[in-house]
Amino acid sequence: MSEPRVLLELKDLRVTRGGKVELEPFSLLLHAGETVVLLGEAGSGKDAVLRTLGGFFERDEEAVGRLRVGDGEFQPVARRTKPALRTAYLPSATGNALDPRMSAAEQLSRVLARKLSCPKPAALEELRGALARFDAAPSLETIQAPVARLEPAAVAFGLLAAAAAATPELLLCDHPMADLSPLAANRVTRALLEEQTRQGFAIVYCAREPHPVVRLMARTIVLRRGQVVEEGSAAHLIGGQTHPYTKSIFKALPADLARPPRAASRGEPLLQVQNLMLDAAHRRRDAIGFELRRGAAMGLVGEPGSGRRRLLDAVLGLERRPGRVVFDAVDLNLLSETMALRLRRRVAFVTSRDGALDPRMSLWDTVDEPLRAHLNLSRELASDYRDNALKRVGLASHDGRQAVSSLSPFDRRRLQIARAIVAAPLLVVVDEPLRALDAPAQSTIRDLLGEFRVESQAGFLVLTSDFSVAAALCDDALVFDKGRLVERGPIATLLAAPREAATKALVEAATLKPAA
Amino acid sequence: MLRFLLKESGRWALALLGALAIAVAVAAMARRGQRFDLALGRHVLAFLRLDFGTSALTGAEAAAEIAVRGPVTLRIVLLGSLIAALLGVPLGLLLGTGRLRRATAPLVQTVSSAPVFCAGLALAFAARRLGFAVQGEWGPLLLPALTVGLAGAAAIQATMRSAAASYHDAPFRAGLRRLGLPALEIERVHVVPQIFASLLRALGEIMLTLLSAAVVSEWVFGQHGIADLFVHSLALQDWNMAAPIVFVFAAATLTAGFVGRLCCRLVAGTEP
Amino acid sequence: MNTWRRVLVVAGWSGLGLVAVAVMLSEFLARWPAGSERVGPPLLAPSAPFPFGTDLLGRDVLSETIYGMSLSATQAAEAALIALVAGALMGFIGARLPRYLAALLHWAVASFAAIPPLLLALLLVALSSRGLCAVAAGLAAAPLAFLRTFERARRESLAGHAAHARATGISGSALLNRDLTYEFRDALLPTIARALAAVAIILSTLSFLGFGDTPPHRDLGLMIAAARSSYFTAWWTAAFPALALMLLILLARLAAGLDEGERP
Repeated sequence: MSEPRVLLELKDLRVTRGGKVELEPFSLLLHAGETVVLLGEAGSGKDAVLRTLGGFFERDEEAVGRLRVGDGEFQPVARRTKPALRTAYLPSATGNALDPRMSAAEQLSRVLARKLSCPKPAALEELRGALARFDAAPSLETIQAPVARLEPAAVAFGLLAAAAAATPELLLCDHPMADLSPLAANRVTRALLEEQTRQGFAIVYCAREPHPVVRLMARTIVLRRGQVVEEGSAAHLIGGQTHPYTKSIFKALPADLARPPRAASRGEPLLQVQNLMLDAAHRRRDAIGFELRRGAAMGLVGEPGSGRRRLLDAVLGLERRPGRVVFDAVDLNLLSETMALRLRRRVAFVTSRDGALDPRMSLWDTVDEPLRAHLNLSRELASDYRDNALKRVGLASHDGRQAVSSLSPFDRRRLQIARAIVAAPLLVVVDEPLRALDAPAQSTIRDLLGEFRVESQAGFLVLTSDFSVAAALCDDALVFDKGRLVERGPIATLLAAPREAATKALVEAATLKPAA
Repeated sequence: MLRFLLKESGRWALALLGALAIAVAVAAMARRGQRFDLALGRHVLAFLRLDFGTSALTGAEAAAEIAVRGPVTLRIVLLGSLIAALLGVPLGLLLGTGRLRRATAPLVQTVSSAPVFCAGLALAFAARRLGFAVQGEWGPLLLPALTVGLAGAAAIQATMRSAAASYHDAPFRAGLRRLGLPALEIERVHVVPQIFASLLRALGEIMLTLLSAAVVSEWVFGQHGIADLFVHSLALQDWNMAAPIVFVFAAATLTAGFVGRLCCRLVAGTEP
Repeated sequence: MNTWRRVLVVAGWSGLGLVAVAVMLSEFLARWPAGSERVGPPLLAPSAPFPFGTDLLGRDVLSETIYGMSLSATQAAEAALIALVAGALMGFIGARLPRYLAALLHWAVASFAAIPPLLLALLLVALSSRGLCAVAAGLAAAPLAFLRTFERARRESLAGHAAHARATGISGSALLNRDLTYEFRDALLPTIARALAAVAIILSTLSFLGFGDTPPHRDLGLMIAAARSSYFTAWWTAAFPALALMLLILLARLAAGLDEGERP
């Protein structure tokens, strides 16, 4: 069997930006049709490799090193020269790479028309053809809508179709599946690999979490602060990691989902939902009813737009819907706004939604606020509670006067947990808790939430599209699909024997395995 | 669109009503010993009959006086708007987008700090030094219109720069660049229409600047338009004269704002 | 705020601080008492004894500019405070009134905001007296300040963090406390400086049009108006007061941290 053709080789690439080293000497040999995953947190240097290969250097950036394409001679890497390769770029669907107010199809066809040097209608047809090749992809008509109105999965498919239609030799993937639900990520990855088999392009895939390593089963280079810390095949790295940093990243992989069922209920009923209608068009048999006891945790599992968020808003009384919601033995629909506000004091949030914390507030004030607003505590006692909570989440060493706006997403998530801890809630609402986090941060947040659950004895409502998150934090789950509750039961039962197709798809997606 | 049109028309009508109330209150200052509330009622009825009363000083009908003086101000403002658009829009596009925006910032900050009357006096000084002579029907209006135009151009510049600055760090710029779209096309397709939309949205504010500048330039260059008439009638407490002018100016601003918002919706497709 | 902008803000406030010192020491800094006529030959060009030259009545333009700056800056500071209270503070409170009351207030203020601030100031001076021109300028700048703060407060109350706070039982008064603390910290100084820039323009134009203070109190606007008859031949009589006025406005703009595209 002949050796595969060399597509490109990078030697001793060193990138500095604004005087700061972004990438220490880095070398990469890439064959045609090969996939390489660059794995690391933000600032690990993977974007510097991507920028060099794509030729999109930043203004204050300096790159030295050598690069050869195919069997050609090594040439020095220069800011103004792009490697002589047909490259395409596949960005994250949630990273605002497209103008959110404009039609996705319009923008992608414009990009494609440039790439293929063809008129826009022809590019549009190419895009339609590429989309038609993918299973479960949206139609061209669907992605004619403004990007802001599309589901992330639809945008991801659109971006992949545009990249594939450009028939690249090298595809530069910039966290394309980050923040997609496992189901969507699986589908898009499958489409990506099918297209790679069809066209034979090579892939350089940047990832901040280990999930793509499992899905792609490709050679992986682990980077940290611009340096390679470990390198090897996916099987080798998944089997066992040598470097502690790699271990911390791979810890974010879901643990074995099959586990014995936990006790579903422990304390008194905390939340009782009866005959709740999520949609005016729904019939009586679609009405939802469930009970959450103190110390128990319920997962609301489903894809975005499946109705789980509507249920949550109705349960919290943020939206009035027909039905009965009893919280701590009080019917929420019968309460005045003032009384409902009092009751809501016992609710806390940990969410990945942007802007859940006031960006103007300081770290200390954010944690202090529930104490000051709801309790009559001395200043010393309040600061003791606050310091303890911050210590528990690992933020004690941070400057307490620092504004929330200056914190990283990981720190903000931890701060939300600290705020929840001091509020001593009866109900904790956790909304996609691991989204937009690097791998080590994901493990930390999962552990923190787990510990908080055990210690607080509060009821947990966990809204997620990932069954592995639900499995880690919950005992029972309600599964939603297309605006309806389709299945319910203990998580262990749902994982072992899902009845509905939607549940099966969600469970299969959460059980990470190679997409090919 | 129909809903938007109805909503905006309603807002416009309500705002005009507010401006009318202020004008009536000003007119009621000429109460000739009458109680203010009675004078107010009398003027409301008179205004509804489009009777703005007579000037306390000249005895002429206020509406007739405005009709005589109005065209002068109208010409100054129209010519000024033209100059403002011709100067402000290209400069706004040239200096407001790309790298020139940062480089020209100190200059723009300094120029924005000059009050209109200083600019008017500087223009008059320059015209005298350069021996610039004015002739014909529009000739004498040229310098006042240029003053108004410069103030308007500064306002247009400001709006465009502000809009450009808000799109400077938009993540889609880097994203589309990496996807393979040239920088110029990103500016043309994604940024420039939004800058124009912002300009249309700010039409009311720009009109405020033009009208303020008209008052100053008529004074500096001795033109007898309604802006000049307004200043004189206030100086002499001729409230019957001042009241309809207040309404005319407020209505012009509100109408410009209304038209701007409609155009923004029609041209850019985004709701203001 | 980026570093460059922060430097400009500090420079703006430092400059305003120096202006405040100059205001306090104006009697010492000026060579002649305010309004001293015939201290030199009329319309003398800038020279060593009279660096800014003299005006038609033989007054030292440098001394007069210092007094004029002092008067303009003092009046602008008073007017800015009025604009802050009548505009920004009312806007902050107005946005938190019950919905219909807030809408009514917004409508009323928006009606005033449709009149150019200069015209509104002229109207207010005509309705009151010339001695109250600082109050008139402050009130004329208030409607726009009100609308700006009102919109800002509305945006904050509709923001995601406010919704999350309400969903966890944080009361309206706690949210108001939050806004007061942070608005006071973040927006007070920029709002004052912004108002200062706006009212300095209105006040000087009022004086220029003859609606401001009357002699012997001469602010920069009145000095420039008085120089109208002489500045074609003696440019310094108008140029130096105009530059001083522009400096005051520029410093206030910088202190407000205005983006180069923003208007006060």
